[in-house]
Amino acid sequence: MDEIILEVRAVCMQFGGLHAVENVSFVQRRGEILGLIGPNGAGKTTLFNVISGVYRPTSGSVLFKGRDTTGFPPHRMAELGLGRTFQIVRPFPDLTVIENVMVPLHLARYRNILASFTSWNTKTIRSEALRLLEETGIADLAELRAGLLPLGNQRKLELARALALQPALLLLDETFSGLRHEEIDIIANLVRKVREKGISILLIEHNMKVAMGLSDRVVVLDHGRLLAEGDPESVRRNPAVIEAYLGKGSMSYAS
Amino acid sequence: MNYLVTVAIFIGIQAIAANGLNVIVGYAGQISLGHAAFFGIGAYASALLTTKAGMTFWQALPFVLLITGSIGLLLGMPSLRLREDFLAVTTIGINFIVESIFQYIPFFGGALGISNIPSIRLFGTRLRGWPFLGVVAFFLLLSLLANRKFTKSCAGLACFAIREEETAAASMGVSPVRFKLLAFVIGTAMAGIAGALYAHTMRFIAATDFGFPHSVNFMSMVVLGGIGTLWGPTLGAIILGLLPEIFRPLIQYRMLINALILLLMIRFQPGGILGGSSVLARLFRRRPSHG
Amino acid sequence: MNMFIEQLLNGVAVGAIYALITLGLALVYGVLRILHVAHAAIYTAGAYVGLFVYRATGSIPLATLAAMAVCGVLGILIERAVYSPLLKYPPYVPLISSIAMFLGFQELFRLLAGPYIIAFNARLPLSDAFIGHVRISAPILIIYVTSTLVLIALWLLLYRTEIGLAIRATSQDRAIASTMGMDARSLISLTFFIGSAVAAIAGILVGMHYNQVYPTMGTVPAYKSLALIVVGGLGSLPGAVFASLLLGVLETLLIGYANVPLPRDSLAFIAMIAVLLWRPQGLFGRKGGR
Repeated sequence: MDEIILEVRAVCMQFGGLHAVENVSFVQRRGEILGLIGPNGAGKTTLFNVISGVYRPTSGSVLFKGRDTTGFPPHRMAELGLGRTFQIVRPFPDLTVIENVMVPLHLARYRNILASFTSWNTKTIRSEALRLLEETGIADLAELRAGLLPLGNQRKLELARALALQPALLLLDETFSGLRHEEIDIIANLVRKVREKGISILLIEHNMKVAMGLSDRVVVLDHGRLLAEGDPESVRRNPAVIEAYLGKGSMSYAS
Repeated sequence: MNYLVTVAIFIGIQAIAANGLNVIVGYAGQISLGHAAFFGIGAYASALLTTKAGMTFWQALPFVLLITGSIGLLLGMPSLRLREDFLAVTTIGINFIVESIFQYIPFFGGALGISNIPSIRLFGTRLRGWPFLGVVAFFLLLSLLANRKFTKSCAGLACFAIREEETAAASMGVSPVRFKLLAFVIGTAMAGIAGALYAHTMRFIAATDFGFPHSVNFMSMVVLGGIGTLWGPTLGAIILGLLPEIFRPLIQYRMLINALILLLMIRFQPGGILGGSSVLARLFRRRPSHG
Repeated sequence: MNMFIEQLLNGVAVGAIYALITLGLALVYGVLRILHVAHAAIYTAGAYVGLFVYRATGSIPLATLAAMAVCGVLGILIERAVYSPLLKYPPYVPLISSIAMFLGFQELFRLLAGPYIIAFNARLPLSDAFIGHVRISAPILIIYVTSTLVLIALWLLLYRTEIGLAIRATSQDRAIASTMGMDARSLISLTFFIGSAVAAIAGILVGMHYNQVYPTMGTVPAYKSLALIVVGGLGSLPGAVFASLLLGVLETLLIGYANVPLPRDSLAFIAMIAVLLWRPQGLFGRKGGR
């Protein structure tokens, strides 16, 4: 088995004249929790969108499971085993919570038009969805419309949906933002449990305490460039990182 | 009595087309304001196959499905990649272009249209009146069954997901283009069948039967009855089909009344009669309401 | 050659009229993201009000002002009563409401003013002009003068005043208006007023140019202007003007010099689909983002 799950090679992403991501490279090892941090506008979400196929990079390449997946559309990345959540939550609001989770559970059937005509509401899939909801702690909300859920539960729902893909790599985009302490702890524990199952996790996190606490290694972006890379302790002491954050006065050790 | 049967036949035919539109708009969430074009393509395909190629309605039917579906696929491929507002205008454009092709290209009979379209025959007898209504009812039932089956299939779930949140759907392995196209092809094929039935009841068709106002009419049926509901489009077709009969003394104001009803419905109950939070919705939908 | 130049000038005049109608649509799309089909009903209303006031007073300026005022208020009413409560729904909801209003208004015009064509015989204070051997007829000249003045006035308003800046900023981002200390609601109403008043001018110009006003005169502009804002790049004002002028010229020349088997009015949509295949965001639209 390959030791490396994800490799980002010299990725550049431009919008008009704006360089959102400039020549960023890093690797993620299998089973690792890698934190992607940086001040606002550092290009973290853009990089996520490049990795997950929403954007095709202007130059550079993305290798997922040792395969060049640059420019693959998002649904192909999902098929290959990439699950993700969104910074601004995107539930299917009019579907119930359990239906939300059943969408990704049919992954294999979407590839084939004929297979896609089989029924989606089967006992096996339903119980599988329920199991995922139990795992993420929202099983009691299964029959509620997803749009009615408070933010914390919607984030748990997104996690459940991403896990339903049985991903090899999970991208978490600020899954902890806007949440209360207790909720952060619950979801942080969830993330650790996910890793124990052998799923690699790449997470963007604004909350430094959470990011440093969860990550095995951290990659720091600033103004679209790679600023630093290493274990949380060394990154925390890195003068360039401190300046990037303190210079903008947004280092949030609190909260 | 005969007259009522004719009205019922037209309502049935329009309901089939409206059910097709419901797959596109209601299930997959893609605005299409060019549905009459596909209704027309079905009508012209069947009319040409029966008058020029000498086929019977039943022999032509598979070709009608194939032709309408493929044209739907062809036109859907570039259109469905567009953002929703662009899509709405593009489908309006498709309607205008298709209408003018029918009207200006001699192969389609030009401004004179196509006449002497044969009636539908079954077991050697020409179907008119009640028996024809039976055929229409059969196809209507078929379209309702197809829609029910679709909403219960993985493809249907994929379409719901795209309708609700396309980016999230894509991140879960649902190819937006593929399933939008699938919905589009199913919907246009249904319009094609309806168009064929229309051609063989009227026995005479012309381009203006398939202009943009008719697309608005199909959309009104779907919106009025309840977008995305199983029975809504049929109910909408019945209401809009019966209105002119009920308001016969007010024939002068017919279009105004239609427009007002549509405006009031969409302004105060955008989900339609059977949609969302309406009273009737709870009677029709078996899904338990959650607090 | 002179013939060609006259055709070209004709085409530009047609394009200028399209631009006056399409600008209102582009403005409205900018601030509300609504495809305002009923805009063409306002344009028709402008032609009728202008016609009747002209008949009563014999003054074109007075007729124009009255039509602008009536249409401006009508625009605000439509926005307040129908669009603003529907903004929270998916875009097909306001779009269908707009089409319903458009059809309803057409019926209303038919019932109020009769289904027939009414002549708009205006005595104009202008005679044909000559540039060298090229003749510009008085009605075309009026279109040129008026639309140039209106376009300059709009440009000054939108690009040289605080309010214009706020309107343009709002079309970038709805939240911006409030940060600029402007009330978003009144900005939107103002946008509708301006767009509708300009449409009224277009209605009068068309009525006078073709010497006819009738209930369904808005049908072709309604859908053609949709195609035009799409070609221009939804919400882009320079794009809308450019696309309108281009189409006006293209239509006139193609009909005059090429044997096009399709009717003039479907050209706009063919052009639109061709443009969208090449640039899915329209000529002046920006790429990416939602």
